[in-house]
Amino acid sequence: MRDIVALAVSVLAVGVLSSRDGVEAMSLLRYLYFVPVIVAALRFGVFGGGVTAAATVLLQTPWIFAAIERGGLTPAATERVVTCIALLLVGMLVGRLASYAQAQRRRWRLLLAVQRALSEDAPLEVAVGRLRACLAVRLDVDDVALVVRGDDRLAIAGGVCVAEDSLAAEVLATGRPRYVPDVGGGARPRRAYAAPLLVGGAPIGVLAVEREGEMAAAERAALSTLAAHCGLALENARLASRQRRFAEELAERIASATATKSAFVAVASHELRTPLTALLGFSELLAQRRFDAAEVRHMAELMQHETERLVRIVDDFLDLSRLERGLEPKLSRAAVKVAPAVAAAVEVFRRTGSHRLVVECDETLPAVDADADALDRILKNLVGNAMKYSPAGSDVHVAARGADRAVEFSVRDVGRGIPAEALPRVFEPYYRAPGVGSARGAGLGLAVVKSLIDAHGGSVRLESAPGSGTRVTFVLPAVS
Amino acid sequence: MWTLERPAPSRRAGLLANTPVALVSALGAGWAAAAGLAGLGWVTPSVLRAVAITAAHGGLLAIALEWGAAEGRTRLPRGAVLVTIALIGAGAAAAVVDPRGSVLLLTAPAWLALLTLRGSLTGLGLGPRVAWRPVLAGAALGGLLGAHLLLSASQTLGYALRGGATAVLLLWVYDVGANVISAECFFRGALFNRLQRRWSFAAAATVATTATLFRYVVDPMLPKQVEVMAGALFYLTVLSAVDCWLLWWSGSLLPGLAASWMFFLAYRTLAIG
Repeated sequence: MRDIVALAVSVLAVGVLSSRDGVEAMSLLRYLYFVPVIVAALRFGVFGGGVTAAATVLLQTPWIFAAIERGGLTPAATERVVTCIALLLVGMLVGRLASYAQAQRRRWRLLLAVQRALSEDAPLEVAVGRLRACLAVRLDVDDVALVVRGDDRLAIAGGVCVAEDSLAAEVLATGRPRYVPDVGGGARPRRAYAAPLLVGGAPIGVLAVEREGEMAAAERAALSTLAAHCGLALENARLASRQRRFAEELAERIASATATKSAFVAVASHELRTPLTALLGFSELLAQRRFDAAEVRHMAELMQHETERLVRIVDDFLDLSRLERGLEPKLSRAAVKVAPAVAAAVEVFRRTGSHRLVVECDETLPAVDADADALDRILKNLVGNAMKYSPAGSDVHVAARGADRAVEFSVRDVGRGIPAEALPRVFEPYYRAPGVGSARGAGLGLAVVKSLIDAHGGSVRLESAPGSGTRVTFVLPAVS
Repeated sequence: MWTLERPAPSRRAGLLANTPVALVSALGAGWAAAAGLAGLGWVTPSVLRAVAITAAHGGLLAIALEWGAAEGRTRLPRGAVLVTIALIGAGAAAAVVDPRGSVLLLTAPAWLALLTLRGSLTGLGLGPRVAWRPVLAGAALGGLLGAHLLLSASQTLGYALRGGATAVLLLWVYDVGANVISAECFFRGALFNRLQRRWSFAAAATVATTATLFRYVVDPMLPKQVEVMAGALFYLTVLSAVDCWLLWWSGSLLPGLAASWMFFLAYRTLAIG
């Protein structure tokens, strides 16, 4: 207000000076007339410069026209007319340049503020709210809103909802800006403008502003540019947030994998050491002491059993190594009769006598197109697991039945079962379900089973519930 | 927020929508008939002047009221437009009998004030609630422009002040009751207001100002001396631009009315015409 009063006084001073301005040419006093005009132009832009220049010219005209009336268009009068024209030009030009510079400065500051508002990682709704708050403070408008498409719904800041037939919905659908000169209902026209937030030419949201008063084409173009910038800034923030989350997940996975491998090394060492200890112990006994034939035979059978266990463990390691390199296990496929294969695999475990093994396998089943050794390992792994995780003396059912050009095998126990949250991971290498207790194993068996079945073009599924046992079913193609 | 929650408008009504064509045509026909009769010598020039005032100002006010009602989505009382025209006509007719009868013209703004208080003229920028600061600002701007006119006319052209306050006031009554009220209601309240809700301020103000200048250039009551015409065009351009800005700034027609009344008071003080 003080600025305006000072300008008004300055303009009146110009009027007074002008009334006392002589008829002689080149009055240095006239240079002073430019002072309030330039000050107003710099302070208030094109409007201030234009109005002040017009006011100073208006205040001079009575004296100038009177001078012309009295003496005609003398050089002195011409000079005063030229001074008036120069005042108008200076007021408008300086004012326009000042307005432009001010607008540019505001825009740059706004762009920086937008970047700052989105610099912190935050959920989309929070980021959109921050951005809207930043724009509301810095944009010279009455109301501003932001609508941004989220993964499953719209994030809205500055409004409650987006009506289907609203301006924002239209811009969001078409990706083209829209201007409404008056939304109606007010004493003054209320302009509304909605510009799309574009990313790669596609609208991801809308910047909507409303203002009572003017909204010139240049300002609307600037708003469109700002909206495009906001779109990119939001997308960058979204990508950065996603990248951070991905990096965190990756770090967690690496840590988990490292921990799993460490645990595996410990378990594998233990798994290898157990049969080796047995072999070492029996071989030392045989070397140092004399035994009768029956005792020697018994020790030899135990040593053979432990050696077979070692072979199985080493085979599992080799298969896993191939699996991790993205290679399928080597198979030598042929027609394998199902009943003898199942009987042979089960027989090894039947001799332990710890569980009752129930086999349901029709002799007439078609042969499967499989690697005999691989099938044997699959069955032994599954039957061994079933026995390991079910109480001694309980039943373990092994069955095979014909399916559509395939044979479906199943191994079922009545053991402790697997928790639901562990089911999706049971086929992962090194994974051991929680609650396995002191049961031996490196967490490789089911991973190897799955890789072998996949290599045959078959499928495997596992059903289990804590307390009611586990059933593993796998399908291998039959010989056509 | 409207942009998000309200349906986007389809096309707006045309610029000339809600014009009372029949009424305006009837007024024009009456004026033409009076002019014809005056040509035949059956009607005196003073009667023709009264008919012209009624037709011109009544017509402008009729259009303004109808456009304002449409823009403001308000309903005018039944017969409000005809009452307005009748009041202007009564004032103009009374002035034929006695110049002091022109005081009756003041019934027209009084009637419009009544409509304003009822909330029927919000579409013209005349609402029941008045913000006095813009009105004072308008009066000040009009007064400054009037003072400039007095200074400029006396300095440049040597015009003297009109003698007698009664004569000045009776002339000013015509401005208050008919001239200014019809011009502001139509050119600012109706035309500029309708245009600024479709176009930019600059475009709307340019069209409204051009229309205002045209209205005064064809006005047979304006003296036809070149210097007066040039001065009138200059001052009316500035006044119209100021009035447009006042309406745009304040949302009310009253500041513009105050500016115009003050300016025309200064104009009537000069012994022109």
